[in-house]
Amino acid sequence: MRRSYLGEFEEVVLLTVAVLAEGAYGVAITDELDRQTGRTVSISAVHAALHRLEEKGMLKSHLGDATAERGGRRKRLFSVTVLGSRTLHDIRAVRQQLWDSISPQGLPVVSL
Amino acid sequence: MKNKPPRWATRLLEIFCAPHLLEEIEGDLYERFLRNERFGGTSFARRQYAREVISFLKPFALKRQAREYPSTPLLQPAMIRNYFKTAWRNLLKNRFYSLINMTGLTAGLAVGMLILLWVQDELSFDRFHQKANQIYRLENEVGTGTSKQIWTTTVAPIAEMGKKEVPEIKEALRITDGSLYTLYKYQDKSFAEEEAVFTDPTFFTLFDFGLIKGNPAKPFPDNNSVVLTEKTAKRYFGDAEPIGKAITADGKTTFTVSGIIRNFPKNSSLKGDLFMPISHWFSVIYANRKDGRNQHNDFHEFSYATFFQLQPGVSTTALADKLRNIHLRNKPDDTDLTYLLQALPDMHLYKADGTEGGIETVRMFVIIALLILVIACINYVNLSTARSMLRAKEVSMRKIVGAAKMQLFLQFIVETALLFSLSAFLAIGLMTLLMPFYNELSGKQLVIDFSDSQIWAVIASTIAGTLLASSIYPALLLSSFEPLKALKGKVSARLTDAVFRKILVVTQFTFTVILISGTLIIGNQLDYIHSKELGYDKDHVLSFYMRDLGAHFDAAKTELLKQPGVAGVTRANSNIVSIGMQTGATNWDGKQPGETMMIRPVAVNQDFIPFFKIKVDQGVNFTGAVSDSLHFILNETAVKAARIKNPIGKRFKLWDREGTIIGVVKDFHFASMKSRIEPSIFFYDPNRAGRMFIKTTGQEAPNVIATAKRLWKQYNAEYPFKYDFLDQTFDDLYKTEQRTGTLFTVFATIAIVISCLGLFGLVAYTAQVRTREIGVRKVLGATVPGIIQLLAKDFVKLVLIAIAIAVPVAWYAMDQWLQGFAYRISIEWWMFALAGLLALAIALLTVSFQSIKAAVVNPVKSLRSE
Repeated sequence: MRRSYLGEFEEVVLLTVAVLAEGAYGVAITDELDRQTGRTVSISAVHAALHRLEEKGMLKSHLGDATAERGGRRKRLFSVTVLGSRTLHDIRAVRQQLWDSISPQGLPVVSL
Repeated sequence: MKNKPPRWATRLLEIFCAPHLLEEIEGDLYERFLRNERFGGTSFARRQYAREVISFLKPFALKRQAREYPSTPLLQPAMIRNYFKTAWRNLLKNRFYSLINMTGLTAGLAVGMLILLWVQDELSFDRFHQKANQIYRLENEVGTGTSKQIWTTTVAPIAEMGKKEVPEIKEALRITDGSLYTLYKYQDKSFAEEEAVFTDPTFFTLFDFGLIKGNPAKPFPDNNSVVLTEKTAKRYFGDAEPIGKAITADGKTTFTVSGIIRNFPKNSSLKGDLFMPISHWFSVIYANRKDGRNQHNDFHEFSYATFFQLQPGVSTTALADKLRNIHLRNKPDDTDLTYLLQALPDMHLYKADGTEGGIETVRMFVIIALLILVIACINYVNLSTARSMLRAKEVSMRKIVGAAKMQLFLQFIVETALLFSLSAFLAIGLMTLLMPFYNELSGKQLVIDFSDSQIWAVIASTIAGTLLASSIYPALLLSSFEPLKALKGKVSARLTDAVFRKILVVTQFTFTVILISGTLIIGNQLDYIHSKELGYDKDHVLSFYMRDLGAHFDAAKTELLKQPGVAGVTRANSNIVSIGMQTGATNWDGKQPGETMMIRPVAVNQDFIPFFKIKVDQGVNFTGAVSDSLHFILNETAVKAARIKNPIGKRFKLWDREGTIIGVVKDFHFASMKSRIEPSIFFYDPNRAGRMFIKTTGQEAPNVIATAKRLWKQYNAEYPFKYDFLDQTFDDLYKTEQRTGTLFTVFATIAIVISCLGLFGLVAYTAQVRTREIGVRKVLGATVPGIIQLLAKDFVKLVLIAIAIAVPVAWYAMDQWLQGFAYRISIEWWMFALAGLLALAIALLTVSFQSIKAAVVNPVKSLRSE
């Protein structure tokens, strides 16, 4: 199985874009990441990841409309491409397969 | 209230962030800023914003997107060819302005480079020795109070004792130019040598005067060896091998040539033709001495230039103290003597006491060179920015059809560079042409040797500097026109450019006025020196050293006085124009213990004082009686310095000569006006007075010279007859100042001419731009004088401002220069008034020519012009 490699942070960002659907742009993605994963990420790191993902062809983007709250500047809205979607699915499948192969005694019990 | 994120951070982001990413990133950051402000307050938000901007300094944000339609590369051959083509066409199209620009630049560059070459030559003095930084000249300061003196020659033993006892001294050497012999002979060739010196053999190892022939370890194999310069050897032996040849000195001593050194570079302070071992000198002057003095203990004879090579990093003051202790141990009564050390490279440009000497002139000339170059640059900048309005349409068209700003910038740079290289080329040619005149003016022997990298460095840096200074601003201005506005013709309203241009014109004329007033003041001071009452009459006086004629002075005098043109004959031991000798061996009643008065003694006969019309203030002149040998005549300064009241009849002692004062003469200038009149004393000793003075009537001078020469040949058959006129000797004292004065005048003139060229161009442009306005005014009834006034008013105003700025600056600078003279003029207001008036007159003349031309044009023509 050939696929381009995704870093962990890239994977999370890609997933967040998918979660936000229509409204995925820099600030929103950063906030969502903050909310969902509880880790503080810097906006520049998010932008860098988005940029990389776009270069890899997993995201596509277009400029949205200008809004007053941004001082009249337009947002760049991201959406996941077919390649991105397939990569995410692949990753999930690999994970699932691995989970399935773990024997009941393979992991120490974590009490919830 | 809405706060803004920190401006600098936004600016920074705009600078580094790739344009295609900027909008979204800026938007995101702003959005976050507003939210942060709501939650955490303004200052928190601002801090956060800055931090985030900085965190974007990452490769992805810095990297520029490749353009979809890449622009033409800036340095494509076709474009470069085009730059040159358009530049050339433009130069040809505007012949008038190109000519003005080029004349100004060529003159400025040529003169600037000439001055800088001179400066470079001055600064290079004595630096060519490898050990130049470790070599010092030993000097001694003697005397107390106002009669303090610095001698650059020392006693002989201090060199060897210093080297032996002071570990910081690595090497020592002495040079003395005492004239032991005067006539040197080889076969049938004989020369009266003036640059025959005696020195230690270390001379050839410490300094880099390379021995071409001879043994560097032992340049003087024996006491009767001589080392010659190439030139001197050629003089004696032609092309024959000089080593081993014998030269006879004064017919009694023979020296064998043991080495040849290269000719001295012209930037060496040390010079000489023949070098003989100092041991020879010692063996002659200390032979058969009854006072027991020899080269190792004679602390009386201050006639040796002493040089030391020191260990690196030695404190010269501490070393000087050590040397003083050695001196005092050997001669305890020299308590007023202290030693000083002067670095070898400083010898040429600084005075013996370390204060500024020639470096002042060097600095002055650097400033003048820069002023001239700046004036030339300003011309260029002014003309090209003024004319830029006319080119606004061209620039706009170029922009509209797709020229990038950078390309236009380059185009204008190329245009400037082309004009500059033409000017530089012409300037180098002009410089070569002017070189002989310049050398005559400056007293140097500069050659433009194009294989010398130093010269190229000077030329290249001058040209590059001026090019840089004058090309950038016009190119920036021209390439920045906004096409739409320019095409609508709105550019001419740009106020800032006009102001900038005005500032430049003011600067230019400030420099000009400074140079004019400098010229005036220097000229006045030189006139003052020349016309100042010297206190003696030096006109038409011929003087020479008598040698063997001295013994037959009376006979010669009788014969000369028979000659119709001779008004008088007298003798003295030194030349009155500049009395060289000085001594501290004086005593008088009322002298304080430890006090010394340096005095200049002159041996004379009874005719000397009346001959030179020196005024006897009190007492009487010598009569020629035997008792006169115990009489002294002092000058007023000596009486004052010694604080002798009613001096006539008081006792005075000079060396071991004790006597009484019989007269006091009015002060007279026996040295340059740069120094105050010092104490001097006349004593009666005709036999010591080896110099003859003959006063002629002027027209008869050639006959008198012929008679004097005949008399000379009678007693000094073998020696060439050399004489000086006192006026000439006097003029030599001020050669440097005279030269500075002349050069200043020349440079000031050039500066004025260049400034006027610029002004001329500007006025021509103004008139051209306002052609129609002038036409309309004339039609409505304006008079020709009214229009001239209209055009000239602006420029006159600028020149007036320039005068106001220049006067205080010039005042200060010239006052500094005048401080160098003990006798000087006071600076008067009229000098500046005259300088200002001159500048104004020249500016008006320049301006009015063009204005009149514009004003008399028939309005029908000018109104039809477009």
